[in-house]
Amino acid sequence: MTAAGTALALGACGTPSGSGDGGNGGGGGDNSGGTSVTWDMWAGSESDIEALEAQLAIAQEENPDLDISLQHSPWNDYFTKLTTNLASGNVACVTSMNGQRLSGYHEAFMPLGEEELATAGIDPADFTEGSLDIMSYDGELYGIPYDVAAMLLYYNKDMFAEAGVDEPEAGWSFEDFEATLDGLGTDGTAFGMGMGEFQWMSLPIAQAGVQPVTESGELALTDPAFVEASEWYASIATEGHGSLPPSASDTGWGEQEYQAGNVAMAVDGTWNAVSYLNNEAGFAAGMADLPAADGERLGLVLGSGYGISADCENPEAALQVLGSLVGEAAQDQIASSGRSYPARTSSQPLYFDSLDEEVRDEVQTTFDAVFTGLEGQRTTDDWAQVNEAVQPNLVTVYTEQSTMTEVLEQAQQQFGD
Amino acid sequence: MTATEAPAAPPRRAQSRLRRIESRQALGFISPALAGLTVFTIAPVVLSIVMSLFEWPAWGDRSFVGVGNYVELFTSHPDFWPALRNSAIFTVLFVPLNLAVSLTLALLLSPRIKGRAVFRVLFFIPVVTPMVANVLVWKMLLQPNGLFNGISTSAFGIELPSFLSHPQWAMVMVVVMSVWQGMGYNMLIFCAALEQLPESVLEAARLDGATGWRMFARITVPLLSPAIFFTTVMTMITSMQVFVQPQLLTGGGPGNATIPIVMFIYEQAFTFQQMGLAAAAAWILFAIIIALTALQFSAQKRWVHYEV
Repeated sequence: MTAAGTALALGACGTPSGSGDGGNGGGGGDNSGGTSVTWDMWAGSESDIEALEAQLAIAQEENPDLDISLQHSPWNDYFTKLTTNLASGNVACVTSMNGQRLSGYHEAFMPLGEEELATAGIDPADFTEGSLDIMSYDGELYGIPYDVAAMLLYYNKDMFAEAGVDEPEAGWSFEDFEATLDGLGTDGTAFGMGMGEFQWMSLPIAQAGVQPVTESGELALTDPAFVEASEWYASIATEGHGSLPPSASDTGWGEQEYQAGNVAMAVDGTWNAVSYLNNEAGFAAGMADLPAADGERLGLVLGSGYGISADCENPEAALQVLGSLVGEAAQDQIASSGRSYPARTSSQPLYFDSLDEEVRDEVQTTFDAVFTGLEGQRTTDDWAQVNEAVQPNLVTVYTEQSTMTEVLEQAQQQFGD
Repeated sequence: MTATEAPAAPPRRAQSRLRRIESRQALGFISPALAGLTVFTIAPVVLSIVMSLFEWPAWGDRSFVGVGNYVELFTSHPDFWPALRNSAIFTVLFVPLNLAVSLTLALLLSPRIKGRAVFRVLFFIPVVTPMVANVLVWKMLLQPNGLFNGISTSAFGIELPSFLSHPQWAMVMVVVMSVWQGMGYNMLIFCAALEQLPESVLEAARLDGATGWRMFARITVPLLSPAIFFTTVMTMITSMQVFVQPQLLTGGGPGNATIPIVMFIYEQAFTFQQMGLAAAAAWILFAIIIALTALQFSAQKRWVHYEV
């Protein structure tokens, strides 16, 4: 009996409850003084926490009648904790969300319409073109981005010079890219093969000009153009240009190999620009936008933002805090610390000012090229699962034990409707 | 009545009163443990049975599906059978290899070896080293630009296969690494059992002319059979529950070539947040382990000798 009772009690704990006392820990309840709002964010180090507290201070100053508090956990634990909070109906009113994970969590957020944006004092036109797509799902806006990112091609200038190959220039084509691969040779040191979602998918998307999810949100891994471009990507490995991941557990292979100075090129996000340019291996690093197919380059805009919990008891107060957190002062602060590339266009120049002088111009030129003509990533509800299923199979493709077509067809069959 | 007999029983009423007091005291002493058992063992077990009958996302609406999760696992889930197959392959390869290696080591470290305590410690080190550290070292050995391939190409000019990205080799390497990691534990048990062998039986066998292989197969192994039985059962259970080695060494890949059932359960629950499906798979694993263990217990009458 006791066991059954406890089981029921434990079960009851897991019942989502939007109202009641459970919501208070998440903020939004009226305190005796001002209204309290909790902001939940990931932070991995003391310096991260300090930076967040500086933003918190800005938001607090702009909203003196509110009592804003910050709760944080490391990135690796953040989503586990968020899931637990969701299960216990205890989500912070202002909750941070990564754009690529929004599809799995969109139900936890309040849709933001014109009225909500007005309350928050947000004008969408102030943000980088296409960046609101990061926090949108199925045409509905669930949050406001605070930073934006895109995928780049990083290259090792020393290895290019040694091989006597021309460095890439903005607007280069896939023909140029293939010529570069040929010039760098077939000993597996030309290109670090990607395993992560964007690290491998960006080049096929750029070449095919289509995303593997349709505009209506259906999985389209077997779209002929995408399959063909993916096969081409795999051929980098099979033709000997690519450095192959030795195991399916090496999910960051291409990027690690590049960082270690073992390969000449790798695809990774803008978030790593500074660490790559000041790499520890000591090589001269360069960066270029992804090649274009027929003069058109399809790149995806990535990033993270803040949303309002669907269960928030005081959405108005939370919206005001949101407005401050993505407001000019807070965005200037993010940009001038060089921590990430802000979503608000007026704050972006400050990011370049924060960089070392010798890399500043190169970063700015490349970012200017990369952050144009981007579109938001389309995802399905189980997009995270699709990637988890495809990832370990990429190793078999790179080692020619299976083909990209087979892997994509299998994933489409498993996850497509 | 003799002096060795039990003292005369106290009067009935006094005895029952004493028993009541004692049982109350016993209950008092055992209640913290009982409470712990209930909250941390029985309740989760019951909850996981309930969970396995529901479509139970980590958060959001749940719906009762009866045995739907079990049916889905057996009939339509693409990774469940491969995961079961991988666990079976691992167990079939790992258990005999582990026992053979650890028994051989124990026999080699016979009392005649000088400094055998040092060797025992050396062979036991992998057991107590954190698995993550072990896996990192093995990765460095097995990678195409790792130690094994380096030695092979420079010394013999032979290029070794990419062990961790080839489906069959990857499983073999998971087994090899696991045997290396786990042999020390069973070796200690066998060492202890070997030291307890009855000298009289061994001497009688020697007088009868038993030596070498005959001595080992006809005398030592039957005398060791209780220890062999214990290690077989325990090793089989742990190998059905293997998780860390494939998770870290191969990530379950390439494809799904090395994903064992426990990793499948973990992924369903914490990557895909399908708690119900994970709970169902966990109960299937539980049933398999119980069945295999029961089978071993029923078979032990045929080959395990407890009497000396």
